[in-house]
Amino acid sequence: MKSAAMPKLSAASAMGLALAATIGAICLPAAPALAGTASVEPEDSDVAPLPMPKPSWFYIQRGFVQAGTGVYDSATGKYLAQVETPVLGDLAIDPAGKHYYVAESVWTRRLHGKRQDFISIYDSTGLKLEGDLDIPGRMLVGGRLHNFIVSDDGKTGYVYNFNPVSSVNVIDLAKRKFVKTFELPGCADIVTYPGVGLAALCSDGSIASINLKGAKEEITRTEPFFNATNDPIFDNYAYDKSKAQMTMLTYTGLVYTAKLGAKPEVSTPFSIQEAAGIRKGDTKPLEVNWFPGGGQPLALHYASNHMFVLMHAGEFWSHKAGATEIWDLDVTAHKVVKRLSVSGEPNSIQVTQEAKPHLIVAGDDEVVQVIDPATGEVKSRIKDAGTGPIQIAE
Amino acid sequence: MPADRTTGDVMKKFNADSLGEKVLRRFAGGTSRRGMLARVGAALVAAPVFPLLPVSRAEAAGKPDRSPETKTAFARAAQTSDDTKCNYWRYCAIDGALCTCCGGGIHTCPPGAEPSPVSWVGTCINPEDGKAYLIAYRDCCGKSFCNKCNCNGSDRETQIYTPQLNNDIIWCFGTQSMEYHCSTAVLVGAA
Repeated sequence: MKSAAMPKLSAASAMGLALAATIGAICLPAAPALAGTASVEPEDSDVAPLPMPKPSWFYIQRGFVQAGTGVYDSATGKYLAQVETPVLGDLAIDPAGKHYYVAESVWTRRLHGKRQDFISIYDSTGLKLEGDLDIPGRMLVGGRLHNFIVSDDGKTGYVYNFNPVSSVNVIDLAKRKFVKTFELPGCADIVTYPGVGLAALCSDGSIASINLKGAKEEITRTEPFFNATNDPIFDNYAYDKSKAQMTMLTYTGLVYTAKLGAKPEVSTPFSIQEAAGIRKGDTKPLEVNWFPGGGQPLALHYASNHMFVLMHAGEFWSHKAGATEIWDLDVTAHKVVKRLSVSGEPNSIQVTQEAKPHLIVAGDDEVVQVIDPATGEVKSRIKDAGTGPIQIAE
Repeated sequence: MPADRTTGDVMKKFNADSLGEKVLRRFAGGTSRRGMLARVGAALVAAPVFPLLPVSRAEAAGKPDRSPETKTAFARAAQTSDDTKCNYWRYCAIDGALCTCCGGGIHTCPPGAEPSPVSWVGTCINPEDGKAYLIAYRDCCGKSFCNKCNCNGSDRETQIYTPQLNNDIIWCFGTQSMEYHCSTAVLVGAA
């Protein structure tokens, strides 16, 4: 027992030691690292500023158990700050980089009482809460990149809701007020659609176009092009806003692109396995192959049109499995140009949009790895970072 | 659903997505904000409808070929004796903490938790008789996350645009609180 070795002290001595320890505890953090340069000037408490988002930054949610979204710089691996997101919260980043928006839900008496859904608005330089606004509801799921999005001009927010009616809440972020809700039956995973409004994936295997220009929303759908029950497209598909192009991946490894022009133009799919020179993925049982997997299994580097995919060897319906390899797919050339081994069985991946990008992966162990996609070198390994999703400022 | 029935007559006869959409549209009724009572009502209506989807699909297909389901990695390793393990046969598409480890049971919520009347569904193979059964994964709600015996089955699990077959969604609809505690695996019947 530790206390057995401690000499007995009088009450006065103990109080004196406690006071000295307290003073020491206050003073110690002020001591500089180098001996002989210690400042003895009195100090005030202050708060660190945070710069505007940078292309090398990434944002990772802690996960299903712990709240918070960590902000890191992939160039250094350094932890910069925490954006205040709750478990199951959704983070949207202002395209101009001036604000962080968090869609969240609470009950007035912690676990019971009146449910409150709202958007919290934070200043990006300082992370000060500027205010919040009520919304009628939101889907409680977590881990999705397309449940809370912001228009390209930064003025409008869209929050997907499911209660269990499928709908979208429209928020005027400039005026900071809720505008309206419209129903979106059978579809989810929304992205902005220039000149139209929104697009979404649907359970009949189509893409919905949601025209928001008129007083009443008009929803039309493409012909079904994928099987939403047998070979679904992953929710967290990539969307290049500058090209208005969706890049999508199915459980078996089919790659689709859809250009959101006058109407959505869906490409002929190709197999990521065949692009790597191996047998195409299949839904048949007992066939071991390489399959994509994870909650956030792909990330697209827009300028090069290279998609980085978390892959594992297994059987069909293993779409949540962590990865043992990252495949670098040249989407334009339909060719896997590199296969990188990866440790930790990550199930979330993101890529920065720098000229020389960094890959960021995370697994259930909350360890993040920052990887150079050119060499596969792990540049940083960050413990206790989170499980994802992983976002970047766009 | 068997892989070789992805297209053609089966899909023309029955389209789960179409039915799901009709169900959801019926819930909708308007665009105005709903009160809790309306949500509860919708959820109660949903309770008998969602679990019927795969049954209806099976009926539409005549005698369903369940052999693909019996051959998944999960089905081949499934056991029937320990419902606190992730490979218990009913957990082929469960996601979350097992209520059997949280003071509840396979179809029983832990004390103080409230069972959700609606659920996502799975079709799992009982290795003892080789038959497929419909499993309703009903969340127990109103208490904080149990965080014990966390499992993540994924047989025939889909994405959120097909919500009735997605196991990431918090399915605490129609309960006093949507706070997620743990998940049960209620046997509904033969699939």
